[in-house]
Amino acid sequence: MSFKVVPPEPLLGKWGLASYRDEKDRARTEKMARVQCKNPYVIAKGPTDGVMMHVADDPDEHELALKKGADGKTYLGFNAPPGDPADRQVVELTPKVLVMKFVDPDTNARYGTFVYVRC
Amino acid sequence: MRPDEAAIKRSGGARRFALRCGLLLVMLGVAPVRGAAPEIITMDVGDEPGRVSTEEVRIEDGPFARQLVFFRTAEAPGTLIISTNDRFLYLVLGANRALRYGIGVGREGFQWSGLVKISRKAEWPDWTPPPEMIERQPYLPRFMAGGPGNPMGARAMYLGSTVYRIHGTNQPETIGEAVSSGCFRLANGDVIDLFSRVDVGAKVIIRQAAQL
Repeated sequence: MSFKVVPPEPLLGKWGLASYRDEKDRARTEKMARVQCKNPYVIAKGPTDGVMMHVADDPDEHELALKKGADGKTYLGFNAPPGDPADRQVVELTPKVLVMKFVDPDTNARYGTFVYVRC
Repeated sequence: MRPDEAAIKRSGGARRFALRCGLLLVMLGVAPVRGAAPEIITMDVGDEPGRVSTEEVRIEDGPFARQLVFFRTAEAPGTLIISTNDRFLYLVLGANRALRYGIGVGREGFQWSGLVKISRKAEWPDWTPPPEMIERQPYLPRFMAGGPGNPMGARAMYLGSTVYRIHGTNQPETIGEAVSSGCFRLANGDVIDLFSRVDVGAKVIIRQAAQL
């Protein structure tokens, strides 16, 4: 299967991790994510093109790839076409903030949008 | 220093620390339950972040359903009385009546008794998973802003300046049980009802079973 894999370097490092559901909670959730640097989420490089991270409801890490979709959006997930239900869509990625949303509506409803703030 | 002297100093220090914590709790109007037997957990389920329980979920049948009861007390209307052993929360209405709600009691809810006031109320409160939960479920966010998948549920009423709360739950099957985590929980529909009837500043009395 062919899709473009995006270099994962911008994801590597330690992040404070929090989640929210309503956009009105985004700003304060980002502040709370910064506080969570006391127990950071660490993203390390995977053995091939990806990063070692978790998917929902699984305590094991897996190598996940940053993937460019035909819709122009970027997704993070397994080696499957971008936009797969197990993926997360990258809503925002800057040197300091990463925001991702679960593609699967049920998972999104349960866990909300994830905000990572660089520690 | 000889090892036994070091142990005596440590135990003495620990006793002084426990005494200071006890005095602080007494000053706050609550007291640790001395010599309390460890509570029996009747439903050993951990929190389930991400599980959704909506505002409509209430306990509708059985003794833990919200109901008007005969309740003789000298406490003023608007007072909350929590009986952890029975898993009931009473809202005093006056004229020997109370609204009785079924609650689930977490480990923290068994560890103290006394008198506090509602210091704050929140809708869809935030939740910070404890470190041991993050260890078991490392995919969890370390902070979840309030919402239907949040184990704190639809409402929270904070007790004094303590960390304890009366809150909702996304696990309504735990109502009536002694569970491992949290403090005092109600089904979301019931906690919303209670929330609408209770004011900040309301008196809350927590009663534990008598220790023989």
